Amino acid sequence: MTSPFDPPAVTWSRVSPRLVTARLVPAAITLGIPVLVGVALAFAASPWFWILAGIPAAIFALVAFVVPRQVRAIGYAERDDDLLIRKGLMFRSLTVVPYGRMQYVDVEAGPLDRKLGLAKVQLHTASVGTDAQIPGLPPDEAARLRDRLASRGEARLAGL
Amino acid sequence: MSAEPEVRAVAADDLEWRRVHPVTPLVRGWTVLAAALVILGQQSADDSARGGGLIALLRSGLWWTVLVALALVALIGFGYAALAWRMTAYAVGEETVHMRKGVLFRQHRHARLDRLQAVDIRRPLVARFFGLCELTLEVAGGGDSGVAIGFLRDADAAELRAELLARSAGVRTPGHGTQPGTAGPGTSLPGATAPPGTAAPDAVGAPGADAPLRADGALGEGTAGDVVHPGARPASGSATRPALLEAPENLVLTVPAVRLIASLLRSSATIGLVVFLVGLVVVVSVTGRPGIALSMLPAVLGAGGYLFNRFTNEFDFRVAISADGIRLRHGLLETRAQTIPPGRVQAVGLTQGLLWRGRDWWRVQVNVAGYGEKAQTNDVLLPVGTREEALVVLSLVLPDLGVEDARALLEEGLSGDSSVGGRFTGSPRQARVLDPIAWRRNGFSVTGRALLLRRGRLNRSLDVVPHERTQSLAVVQGPWQRRLGLATFAVHSTQGPVGPVAPHLDAGDAARLLDEQARRARTARASAGPERWMELPRD
Repeated sequence: MTSPFDPPAVTWSRVSPRLVTARLVPAAITLGIPVLVGVALAFAASPWFWILAGIPAAIFALVAFVVPRQVRAIGYAERDDDLLIRKGLMFRSLTVVPYGRMQYVDVEAGPLDRKLGLAKVQLHTASVGTDAQIPGLPPDEAARLRDRLASRGEARLAGL
Repeated sequence: MSAEPEVRAVAADDLEWRRVHPVTPLVRGWTVLAAALVILGQQSADDSARGGGLIALLRSGLWWTVLVALALVALIGFGYAALAWRMTAYAVGEETVHMRKGVLFRQHRHARLDRLQAVDIRRPLVARFFGLCELTLEVAGGGDSGVAIGFLRDADAAELRAELLARSAGVRTPGHGTQPGTAGPGTSLPGATAPPGTAAPDAVGAPGADAPLRADGALGEGTAGDVVHPGARPASGSATRPALLEAPENLVLTVPAVRLIASLLRSSATIGLVVFLVGLVVVVSVTGRPGIALSMLPAVLGAGGYLFNRFTNEFDFRVAISADGIRLRHGLLETRAQTIPPGRVQAVGLTQGLLWRGRDWWRVQVNVAGYGEKAQTNDVLLPVGTREEALVVLSLVLPDLGVEDARALLEEGLSGDSSVGGRFTGSPRQARVLDPIAWRRNGFSVTGRALLLRRGRLNRSLDVVPHERTQSLAVVQGPWQRRLGLATFAVHSTQGPVGPVAPHLDAGDAARLLDEQARRARTARASAGPERWMELPRD
């Protein structure tokens, strides 16, 4: 049985491993605050607060385990007429976006992304259901992809 | 009242700027006063419960202050609307529609006519008293991208719609700057030499202007048999009505009010409401506290409101076909006449609720780019109809499925399942773990022109997506599906009620479908008809 997520004759490009850091830092901040508060209260008030510290710590451990695998699972491939994007471990998905259907391409980078040298490329078709974003690209690769997608979209312009 | 649109010539661009109807401020300003009255009513209801507030004020000597306040609100509302009217103008160019509006923040919008997706004429209740309506031109920009021109006199709006449709169809009007020889097939339009701005007032009384009304009057005459397919514009249409470019329309079917009411009574919303009310009665009689019923009033009102809206919106539903596409007219309080040109339908969904099965009723909805979030009012192609009617309506928007014996295939999609075999590729047997009731219904079938996806046992549904309208495709697989070797296939269409998906296919089938469908969509797009449906197809 062929897996639907490995079409034949497709070479997948991976995203930058720095995306792991970019995803773990916000998680560490949001989960770290309740951990610190819990630890402080556990010493100051009652040992029950270890639970408050423990739950977010356990969640962070899970996140730290999953995120690197998730990042490795993200892949994209430029074919002649369409772009393939796959992602997910538990819930996998493979999206095919024909170049001719692209309405516009976004390149975004938040402050942390910029610090780490990352950018996100998002493709928009006329459908809101199209979830076609490639996070964690180096900026020059993102720019290259953007230009390439734009030019290919132009070449295959077919209205709506 | 003078209906003549004020024509202001603008030197730049040679555009004929036209004003909307002068009664517009009255119609628009009314909403401000109505909102003020509603707020007043709510306040007085709230306050009078506490024995003070507005009721007390009305009884006191200062009752006139309320009237003054209302008058002030009305003055502001109507004043602003009048100002807005002065600032609003529209113009129809050769390939674009221009709209200028806004008092503080000026807006000038161009909409390209070859990107036109649909033209709706909406008549709100208040506007109907004045014989006015609002014309909305939908382009595929998402969000608030359309151009709403309102309010216009009914005849002017029909005229404008005809003009917009003709221009966006690629029918050139001689005398508007372009070479006269390029008229579309079978449309020579001999008399349409006057520029549209000046022609409008004179043509209002001409016999052509009441053509839509005549078509309305022919209720029941047209049957499913005399369907004229898009593209087959009768040559006589333009010869008999020289001043007007409107394509003649043929009434295809109407939805009787009795059937609409019966269908709403059998809808899942009604079932839910009845179950809820019965449960409420039981709870109240057991606990003996009627206060519970009162607290549940908003939920009941919500469901009732939904049903009421559906009734008023889908009342007197009429489906007609013209060379400019399918035309829908419906509405009780606010009426709406929609025109969806050929090739603008992105996906069609046929659905049947549980209690509709006895009558074999179906509901047909469409995705049209530009209709977007305004769901519930204009994405219905047929609110309720027999299987026969639903298939006729489907054939109006997608005349050719590119398959032998399309009827049998559609029957399979509507009510068949994989136990009898057929041309649909269904879910494999292991899918029954994840989808015990409907797994035999899940399936897809590929024709030369479209992808058919069926699903649902209790609420049956069949989605049809033309290959050239596929936006993007996806295969998704959860952990259980992976264990069973299954995957779900989805087609991404434009925003709308139809979300085509084939759940729990065999993973290999899904992979093959994804690959082949991407290729089919590409080749279909290359050979798709032109955006301007009256021009000859590209070679």
